[in-house]
Amino acid sequence: MPKCIIDGREVEFTPGQNLIEVAKSAGIDIPLFCYHPGLSVVAQCRMCAVEIEKMPKLQTACSTVATEGMVVKTKSQKTAENQKSVMEFLLANHPLDCPICDKSGECDLQDNSFKHGSAYSRYTEERRTYLDLDMGPVIKKNMNRCIHCTRCIRFGNEIADFREMVALRRGNNTEITTIDGRPLETDYAGNYADICPTGSLTIKDFRFKKRVWFLNKTATVCEGCSKGCNMEIHQENNQIYRCVPRENKEINQYWLCDEGRFNFHYVEREDRLVDPALSKISGLEVCDWGAAIDLAKETLAEKKVALLLGSDLTQEEVSTALQFWSVQSPGGPVFHFGTNGVASSRDDAPEDRILKRKSKTSNLNGLEKLGISGFKKLPADVTAVLVIRGGRAVLPQEIDGVEMVGLGVFMKDQAMMFSVILPGLSFAEKDGTIVNYEGREQRIQRALQAPGQAKPLSEILMMWANRKSSHGAA
Amino acid sequence: METSETLFVQHFNDESRPLEYYLRKMSGYTAVKKALAMQQDDIISEMKKSNMRGRGGAGFPTGMKWGFIPKQASKPKYLVCNADESEPGTFKDRDIMRYTPHLLIEGMVIGGYAIGANHGYIYIRGEYTREAKLLDQAIEEAYDAGYLGNNIKGSGFNFELTVHRGAGAYICGEETALLNSLEGKRGEPRVKPPFPAQAGAFGGPTIVNNVETLAAVPFIINRGGDWFSKLGKLEKSGGTRLFCVSGHVKKPGVYELNAGSVTLRQLIYDHCHGILGDKKLKAVIPGGSSAPVLTADEIDVIADIEPLMKIGTMLGSAAILVVSEDYCVVKLLERITRFYAHESCGQCTPCREGCKWMEDIIERIEHGHGREEDLAMLLDISNNIAGKTLCALGDAAAGPVMSFVKKFRADFEAHIRGGKCPNA
Repeated sequence: MPKCIIDGREVEFTPGQNLIEVAKSAGIDIPLFCYHPGLSVVAQCRMCAVEIEKMPKLQTACSTVATEGMVVKTKSQKTAENQKSVMEFLLANHPLDCPICDKSGECDLQDNSFKHGSAYSRYTEERRTYLDLDMGPVIKKNMNRCIHCTRCIRFGNEIADFREMVALRRGNNTEITTIDGRPLETDYAGNYADICPTGSLTIKDFRFKKRVWFLNKTATVCEGCSKGCNMEIHQENNQIYRCVPRENKEINQYWLCDEGRFNFHYVEREDRLVDPALSKISGLEVCDWGAAIDLAKETLAEKKVALLLGSDLTQEEVSTALQFWSVQSPGGPVFHFGTNGVASSRDDAPEDRILKRKSKTSNLNGLEKLGISGFKKLPADVTAVLVIRGGRAVLPQEIDGVEMVGLGVFMKDQAMMFSVILPGLSFAEKDGTIVNYEGREQRIQRALQAPGQAKPLSEILMMWANRKSSHGAA
Repeated sequence: METSETLFVQHFNDESRPLEYYLRKMSGYTAVKKALAMQQDDIISEMKKSNMRGRGGAGFPTGMKWGFIPKQASKPKYLVCNADESEPGTFKDRDIMRYTPHLLIEGMVIGGYAIGANHGYIYIRGEYTREAKLLDQAIEEAYDAGYLGNNIKGSGFNFELTVHRGAGAYICGEETALLNSLEGKRGEPRVKPPFPAQAGAFGGPTIVNNVETLAAVPFIINRGGDWFSKLGKLEKSGGTRLFCVSGHVKKPGVYELNAGSVTLRQLIYDHCHGILGDKKLKAVIPGGSSAPVLTADEIDVIADIEPLMKIGTMLGSAAILVVSEDYCVVKLLERITRFYAHESCGQCTPCREGCKWMEDIIERIEHGHGREEDLAMLLDISNNIAGKTLCALGDAAAGPVMSFVKKFRADFEAHIRGGKCPNA
């Protein structure tokens, strides 16, 4: 591999790589704002300008491709002076509102100002101000904080395939906004806030709820569809505040759709059943685990029972359930379910040109690998059903006129069709393996404690298997 | 005062506009016939011999530029004429388009043939409504006479020519912003590389030349690169130059003189008959408003690319702005800086933020609210812009500020200490 020299160190590079990437591979961070590895290079912020031997002017590292023997200085006096001056320019019109800005703590502008800027400003002229803009349900814009990096514009044009962010007017008065101030329409709006290097674009769902430095981060995988986008759950004190994309160049690059990003809310819904419950004519009645398992057994006793497994379960959960089933009901029918209209991975296809897929559960492929077939309709002789699901699989409408036991994540309004609910865990509360549409096995990781009395599937099935019913056998 | 034959100016009148005049009096379209029988490389080497330096402002050797075009390209090549002429003080291209449009058209056909382009564009500034119309008429004449279109004069070479009007942005005179604008995009300069010769208009290899540059091509082809080169009195700077003299002189206007044959003093006092009202000279801006300013005792310099560069300024578009003693240089700088701040496209940080900042400070000084530390800060800000921006507009804004503050420091200090403009 060819080599260049960065800050006195010999660094190998792949031809075509720009200096930011080459430096990064050697552990050297060049400060930047407008460059984003997933977007086109515009060299606008000028923050990444570095000194290159034999070149009279500083060169922007983002737009300079490394060449054999190139000698680059990222920390020379000239480079540092330019960084300081760019910081001064950027902060000239930037409000000093970090204490009340939601980006504070994870703000590129703040970090770079601290590292490369000056604590004092020489700017005494009147500051440029803009009006705030409500950009629809996902994003709120504070243009005063904008540093015109145009990442959002490029994201819209190049990734979201939706030209909705534009630059209006020009020069010092340039405003980055939506066309005619319209609300954003893309299904990927959350990414606008992720890539914004300042607090100009913030996510409404998250803003002012939590200071980012309090958040604990768990690397996991989105359960919103069969794509398997990598993401992080950010929680504190057993409460999820947000999910953000995690870089995986082979799956989701740097992005996450809004459906996946905001999917976590059901985990914390007030009407989620987190205690065992019996449904009676008068309504749901919370009970203890013993009584619930007794009733579950009773409901299914003496009946021809089918097992319905949500394709939002992990491989481990499914294996456990199948093992349980082979003892409890040898040879009994087993189906998977998840998305209406997607009975098998043959029905699964991209939903758009970006990330989303038609199967709205994460592990369809995994359940198929374990030999389970998709649910079409109940065999005629089946008189009862045991449903096991996470929080995402949608129960087929074709199930009717049979006794049902529900195990997993259910909301109150769904619960009334079951005789009994045994509360299980959502994707955020368990570890496990899921298999995405292309067969890639990925780990999901537990971010939260189990809520209420909800228990892992294995524990519930263990209780079921070992409990001597007060009514005798089951 | 030496007077010699002029290539352009002698034809600068309304009679010379029609094709008929061009054919009869200017051996019109004979160069294109000659060129179409030549090898493309021979045309380019003739251009190299001519020592033609681009007349738009940068002074880049035209022949060398044409030589950058790749022989093979997967996308169509284009020849684009930069007729945006927006550097304040420049008004020579307007006269060429107004009076001798066929010179430009013929030059473009030859240029197109030399670089292998079958389509040319004339990107003309939006304010030149009349010239755009005249160009369109001339182009129609050329089509009718078979000098444009398919199989030009039986040569097998096709060349289409389109006039594209800008919308009034200075930045669209920067060649890559021009190409963006031409493509219907926001007029913002592109990151270079790739340079237009590799990927320009619509992604194809593209050459962008100034009007005066292209209009000189027929002369070079007809009379030879050596002849053209010898018109210039200095090495590496051939031909004649159209100087646009404006400001406080008795006879402002376009002057065509052999390149390198005249000093600024001769130009101002001999050709333009001196300063209005016989006042003293205060300052000269020698290359459009972005060129660093010269004081009255710096004008014994040859008005050409290299000599001016040596004393820290530039010939630029050869727009000479002359300022007399009773005009406030702070006010002048305020006006210049406001122009660049207003015309900054806003893409890159130093230019977007710095130009407006400088404008605000200079405005304060001019209106009596200056502070002692302002001058040092102005120099610092301009230094932080110069050479650090995406395109040359940053340099264009920074150069005047640096030179005015350094050369006319006393005037600025008088404003700051007196709390008002002494000339007001």
